[in-house]
Amino acid sequence: MSRSARPLTSARVLHKIKELTTPASDVKYVTNRNPRNLERLRIAYKPSGYHLEKPGRSYWHTLEINTSGRYVNADVKHFENGTILSASTSEWAIKQQLFKTNDTSAFVNLGQVLAQRCLHAGITEMTCNVEAVAGSKLEKLLQAVEANGISFKEPSRLPNTQPWDAYRHEKPWEVSEQSETSVTQNKQK
Amino acid sequence: MSFSNLLMKTGANGGLRSSQTAALALLNVSARQGHTLRGKPPGVARTLEQRLRDENVIDPEVTARINIGFPQLKPSRSAQLKERLEHLKAQRSSKELEQLARSNKLVIDLEKVQQAYVQTTGQHDLRLLADHYGIFEHLFGSAYFVPRVPLTIRYELDANTSSPVYNGNVIKPVEALKAPVVSFDGQLDPITGKTATEGDSYWTLLLTNPDAHYTNGEAECLHWFISNIPNGKLNEGEVLAEYLPPFPPKGVGYQRMVFVLYKQTARLDLSAHKVDDKDHVNLEKRNFSTLQFYRQHQDKLTPAGLAFYQSNWDESLTAFYHNVLQLKEPVFEYDFLKPYLADQKFFPLKQAFNLYMDKHRDIKQVNKEYLQRKLAQTHPFDGPEPALRFPNAHPIRDVPSWLRTEIRKRRLGTGRVQDY
Repeated sequence: MSRSARPLTSARVLHKIKELTTPASDVKYVTNRNPRNLERLRIAYKPSGYHLEKPGRSYWHTLEINTSGRYVNADVKHFENGTILSASTSEWAIKQQLFKTNDTSAFVNLGQVLAQRCLHAGITEMTCNVEAVAGSKLEKLLQAVEANGISFKEPSRLPNTQPWDAYRHEKPWEVSEQSETSVTQNKQK
Repeated sequence: MSFSNLLMKTGANGGLRSSQTAALALLNVSARQGHTLRGKPPGVARTLEQRLRDENVIDPEVTARINIGFPQLKPSRSAQLKERLEHLKAQRSSKELEQLARSNKLVIDLEKVQQAYVQTTGQHDLRLLADHYGIFEHLFGSAYFVPRVPLTIRYELDANTSSPVYNGNVIKPVEALKAPVVSFDGQLDPITGKTATEGDSYWTLLLTNPDAHYTNGEAECLHWFISNIPNGKLNEGEVLAEYLPPFPPKGVGYQRMVFVLYKQTARLDLSAHKVDDKDHVNLEKRNFSTLQFYRQHQDKLTPAGLAFYQSNWDESLTAFYHNVLQLKEPVFEYDFLKPYLADQKFFPLKQAFNLYMDKHRDIKQVNKEYLQRKLAQTHPFDGPEPALRFPNAHPIRDVPSWLRTEIRKRRLGTGRVQDY
């Protein structure tokens, strides 16, 4: 009886999956343990299954802003690790230079501080589902964050291209900056 | 008629629901055209979040972590508050500041913010961020510490430009060729946070890369090791391993480079960890395990400072591998999950037979055919045939339809042709 005539059993499927997922013994493998590496290379898993919710949870990093009667807090959240980075006008470091902790200039300055902290932490892209009224101080905060080098567009996951697919996607790790000048320009004096 | 149908359906779904609730549900639920709910209805069934949480239960006893760092003696809150309130009061009564704030021209000094942040809550936040980057997990196992001594690290590129190391920013290998300038307050008492005036303090600085090892995934690569740094004067310290720049191979992605500063109780003899000058580029000699090192010396060393950056491949590394490390440059490729293919059938219906066969054939044979076809069209001296300007304008005659599609795909450069 040939293979095709036999009914497919779950054991056979499991065996095939195991075969696919075990690395070949003759190939040299290395593992990069950096948990943020695959996110930077756009390969990492993004949560799925929340598409019925609005705005959904398909992100690696997202920006959350909470305003209270007196202060404003901005948090960067990771889908697994929760809050990883935060800035608030209730912090002494920021508050000591402000006139009021919840006026427009406080919002704008908080945006600048948050952007600086994100850049220091190597987080340059995140989603932002904050709905700001046009012209409000919240919108000015978001604009300040974007003006200081943070992008609110997180790249999508890189689809796993198969040989028979029509198109190939550009792989982020094969793109490199050729000129050294562009690297050094951004560095602070 | 349709009404009674609906009644029957909701009755079947709800099971033991009373007729009253069924009628209520009737008002809300629109007609499900032939569909029935699979599983429990929303609101009754657990959400995806709940189910994932139940599946990935973490035992707090097993994952308990130990703080190996310095404790902190907090300054008197009332004295601090008094000082701060006075300052804020002065701020609120300042006319110029009010004018600036009301006209939205108030720009705060970011450098001053950073300085105050590092002194107050910054080091706690750094601990969170280091956890996010898996630093403690991969360096110290289940231990962690709150950095108490702020580190200032800069890679100097030329007289005016430098790349500072913060916590996770990207620095390219070309910028990190020379040893960085590290400064910290060597007289600082990590517990009280005040500068001690008497007695010498000794420090150890380590730069390791937990992602660099090619043979042992658990090991780290030691990049820099200076011990017995008296009072923060780095150049007077004992260099046990000379600085080696980061060398992340092509295709591996971003590697972490972690600076850890330890405070010593006294002068220590750590020469057992010395990497000789002749072994400067011997990567086997630079194998290191922070956890083992710490276990060995934990009575005399306490981690006090932390900074890290990420680095990935750039063009300068090819020369570095060839000239300095004397190695062939390794190139890696991410191993994507291979597709699951159903068992091959005798008669695969509704599929193009050539594409179906290509999926199941030996990939080496497929590669060979594509390569041979490409080489047959390449002149040894003139190179490949020039691409057609209007590829779809040239008629393809007298060939079966599958071959016509193949030729068209080849001309347009879609599908497998792109790989060769």
